[in-house]
Amino acid sequence: MPTVTVNGKRVNAPEGATILEAARLAGIEIPTLCWYPKLPVVGNCRICVVSVEGQPKLLPACATKVSDGMTIATESEEAVEARREVLRLLLERYPADHLRNGGRAQPRNEFERYVVQYGVEPTPVAERDLSLREGDERPGDPMIRHDMSLCILCTRCVRACEDIQVVGVLDVAYRGEHAQIIVGNDGDPDKAACTWCGECVRVCPTGAIFEVLPRERFGEHPVRSDRVVRSVCPYCGVGCQVDLHVRDNEVVRVTSPDILLDTPNQGSTCVKGRFGYDFVQHRDRLTRPLIRKGWVKREGRWVWEGPTGELRRSGPWRTIAGEGVELKPPAPPRATGKRLRDLPLLERVTQDIRDRAATPAEWYEPFREATWEEALDLVASELARIHRERGPGAMAVFQSAKCSNEENYLLQRLFRARFGTNNVDHCTRLCHSTSVSAMQAALNTAAASGSMREIEEACDVIFIAGANTTETHPVFGAAIKRAHKRGAFLIVADPRKIELARRADIHLQMQPGTDVALFNAMLNHILACGLENQEFIAKRTKNFEAVRRAVQPYTPERAEAITGVPAALIREAAERYARGPNTTTLWAMGLTQHLTGHDMVTALLNLILATGMIGRWGAAMMPVRGQNNVQGASDMGAIPFVYPDYQPVSDPKIREKFARVWGVDPESMSLEPGLKVTEMAREDSPIRALYIMGENPIISDPDIAHAEAWFATLEFLAVQDLFLTETARYADVVLPGASFAEKTGTYVNTERRIQIAHKAIEPPGEARADWEIIVDLSNRLGLPTPFKSPEEVMEEIRKVAPAWAGVTYRRLEGAGLQYPVPTEDHPGTPFLFADRFPTEDGKATFHPVEYSDPAELPDEEYPFVMNTGRQLYHWHTGTMTRRSRGLDAREPLAVVEIHPEDAEELGVTEGDPVRITSRRGTIVTSVRISDRVARRQVFVPFHFREAAANLLTSPVLEPHAKMAELKVCAVRIEKVPVEAAV
Amino acid sequence: MSAAPEKAAYEPVFTGDRLKELEAIMARYPTKRAALLPALWMVQQARGWISEEAMVEVAEILDLTPAYVKGVVTFYTMYHQHPVGKHFIQVCTTTPCNLCGAEDVLAAFLKHTGCEELGATSPDGKYTVVEVECLGACGFATAVLIGDDFLENVTAEKVPEILKRYQ
Ligand code: SF4
Ligand code: SF4
Ligand code: FES
Ligand code: FES
Repeated sequence: MPTVTVNGKRVNAPEGATILEAARLAGIEIPTLCWYPKLPVVGNCRICVVSVEGQPKLLPACATKVSDGMTIATESEEAVEARREVLRLLLERYPADHLRNGGRAQPRNEFERYVVQYGVEPTPVAERDLSLREGDERPGDPMIRHDMSLCILCTRCVRACEDIQVVGVLDVAYRGEHAQIIVGNDGDPDKAACTWCGECVRVCPTGAIFEVLPRERFGEHPVRSDRVVRSVCPYCGVGCQVDLHVRDNEVVRVTSPDILLDTPNQGSTCVKGRFGYDFVQHRDRLTRPLIRKGWVKREGRWVWEGPTGELRRSGPWRTIAGEGVELKPPAPPRATGKRLRDLPLLERVTQDIRDRAATPAEWYEPFREATWEEALDLVASELARIHRERGPGAMAVFQSAKCSNEENYLLQRLFRARFGTNNVDHCTRLCHSTSVSAMQAALNTAAASGSMREIEEACDVIFIAGANTTETHPVFGAAIKRAHKRGAFLIVADPRKIELARRADIHLQMQPGTDVALFNAMLNHILACGLENQEFIAKRTKNFEAVRRAVQPYTPERAEAITGVPAALIREAAERYARGPNTTTLWAMGLTQHLTGHDMVTALLNLILATGMIGRWGAAMMPVRGQNNVQGASDMGAIPFVYPDYQPVSDPKIREKFARVWGVDPESMSLEPGLKVTEMAREDSPIRALYIMGENPIISDPDIAHAEAWFATLEFLAVQDLFLTETARYADVVLPGASFAEKTGTYVNTERRIQIAHKAIEPPGEARADWEIIVDLSNRLGLPTPFKSPEEVMEEIRKVAPAWAGVTYRRLEGAGLQYPVPTEDHPGTPFLFADRFPTEDGKATFHPVEYSDPAELPDEEYPFVMNTGRQLYHWHTGTMTRRSRGLDAREPLAVVEIHPEDAEELGVTEGDPVRITSRRGTIVTSVRISDRVARRQVFVPFHFREAAANLLTSPVLEPHAKMAELKVCAVRIEKVPVEAAV
Repeated sequence: MSAAPEKAAYEPVFTGDRLKELEAIMARYPTKRAALLPALWMVQQARGWISEEAMVEVAEILDLTPAYVKGVVTFYTMYHQHPVGKHFIQVCTTTPCNLCGAEDVLAAFLKHTGCEELGATSPDGKYTVVEVECLGACGFATAVLIGDDFLENVTAEKVPEILKRYQ
């Protein structure tokens, strides 16, 4: 360890440390401009120069390694003068007149702070020979713009885009005094594959690259916030930590916290996290409880005096199916160009999209505003009445993967303890339920075994099956790209040529739904080559022989015939996978949302187990979880067959334990597993009263037309949400909840990391935090629920969930904790299963699986296979993202992705309307030509109410987890003449 | 994400033999990126200049970003970012040539080609005349490059004669 002296202080610096790092260890700051944490060091700005004894020249601290005995002076006269000179030169091209006031200047950014700190006086702009710098400006961009006169060419943005996000939109072009930052090669960020992640905004030291939203509000001035509150991004399962900047009870900006902190995102976010926060302040937010007109209280009892029959839940709106067949307006034109002045018309920055995506005014008509007292009284009395009259089997609750652990815990507690029903479920049913069933059968676990960080740090081969990570979990996607760049071998199994597939070393582009054949063949080949991990199989698994026999017939040639993937490629992928040495396996909806989803995951688990690619740092099993808290909602027992922490409802001892904590008679709680979401919303369902918190099943569930009709037949429906959603419009009572920014709570990300999000602002109007609503309701219904804060709820969770026993709010500050955390001094668990699986004998079990065809294969009448999924800019049913201006501007329209050759055959081009018909429904949507999809396959995102993909999907259910087959359905596509109204 | 940009009627440069040639060049280097300068050179030979579409094409073949390729194209003055005449005339005007009448030579080229302005292309599309720094032939001033031909001892009087050879 070299010992050096910095400004007279002695420091022991680690081997290979730079002068900058050594100085920081000694608590001494050296100014930096081109240097930035985690970016490659370029040493081009020279502001960090320092004097080193015995060296004739000044040395750049960021790019010089220390050697033993160095004596360093960071503020020597020479160094300071050199720094001033650097600043003076940079100022020659910088609009700095506001800094010319004799030391009283207000610096507006990092660079100007140095100017003021070192007392450099800029020349007035008018007296200079050199003009201000230029560069591409992203004119008309809804989220990010450039003012390149502020650029000091530090190239942080270029490196952030290239080395952290691995996109490479930005670069330096031209030379000498004309050098400037360019966007792609023609100024168009879209063509340059920009993902609008805002990494460039984050690193720019001058604000040359800036955010549009705060700029509109604060002009040139930096965002002045009243306070900054640490929270967790409300979108995907990566669980990025974010800082909410608050002013006047509004979130005015979102940034990502200190990059060096050990958070899942390490300073990055994606476009949704950084720019998608304005839904919180959208004027559509519900501010008072709503009660359907027709409910009146007479003599202390609530009675329905409104219309009955079909009209009972009707309203002045078109059904989703009705809207689906309407012709859609064309896409608004997109601004392009390099400079603002190149734009023909300076289009307004503040194009207001709210009226387009907002809740239509007439949706409110069937409702009247009510007080909380009335609304909760009605909900409590109706739930109690139906429970009394029809029994526990008629009660059900849909919980929310968007709400916190505490809220999910409270809600299942209410339904299990007060109503004695296990009809408790949430959207995991349509997400990773098949992964959970397969993982439980094989390993008795329900979560990822490893961490996201290990992909970057330790993994040699990455195998991704059915996960479009760069769009659905962009921050994790970037980590995968970085791992690939540093040399990890990337294998992608996906029917679409998604970004990762394009980058992959091997892309296995199989026919949709044929994954079992593919994985079985890979295992077949691994066994044929003797590449299986025999020691692992012998010591840590059982029933291997059955799988060996089962995969025998799946030769790569046979798999080629089924999947369409060349046998040689299957062989190569298999060998790479098995050779590792550390292979991490990722999967998501591409496997789970199939009729054979459970089998697909099982086949993949067989592959993992046979090669022993689990339980080491770098060899992880990673189902990538979708929602910000789908893991947590499952952990909290929002599943029909388990209590919190996966304790089976059918075990009387466990029931006893929960009954004691919840203060009810064990006998009043059910030992029967409840119904699953997909089993509830059907004609023969026994459910009469339904409570929904933060879900929008009418858009997200398969075969909408039937689901919508079913919701209308309920006896009582209460919905707790931020907006009057497509589902909420059928409710009897709508309770206004709080967004992530308006309450404190904890969330679990895809790597089992429990993180805390703090309350930043007050909910709008009378809206209340969701946990408060449930506490109030529980008490009204007579279930003792004494909690005064989410923290108190966590204290109860710790008591009943062994894996959470060591979790306290205090310990969650910072990077959070990865459960299991069995005790208060346990540090959390970055990876699981190092030496045993959580089964009785500690061993994992192999389960042989056979391939079978998807339920619907294309035929003459329905010749295309339709796949559904998400886009980068939208989230699920669009409730949040379509109310976020920047995001919605990027993807304002429903589309269908069609292969160029199919489009030609159909005679359609980009933007043309087409009609897509399946056996269940029809939608009209616009064409997007893309070779991401294979021939005869189309992709329809499910975010858009006006062309809802789930009108077409099939409600057939997977037998183990009751998953719907959302990824494959046969459709027909027809051109719609533009004039033709439907 | 919006649609993949339509490359309206852009004819790729690297097909057939030219692609083979580029592949041979790529094979010489440990990284694809190293073949960037020769690849751009080939584009310029084939098309006379390097269009934005060509930058994208090169970027795709070499696994680079279009922005990076543009950075390189714009750094070197010998890559043209705009169409130039069929004959690209570079006149050295650095000191030794200058002393020997380079300015007159330049003026003569501008006049007889009809280009009028430095860097502009003549109305018939045949010529573009630019000024360059020392061409390394100071002993034979004035030095002129027309396309790949190196001409020495050029004087203003010889210009019309020379241009006859470049039609
Ligand atoms: S937003 Fe992200 S992808 Fe786009 S230029 Fe900036 S860093 Fe690159
Ligand atoms: S735009 Fe900002 S980050 Fe990029 S080079 Fe200029 S000053 Fe640096
Ligand atoms: S910060 Fe060290 S050279 Fe720029
Ligand atoms: S000065 Fe003209 S060739 Fe050197």
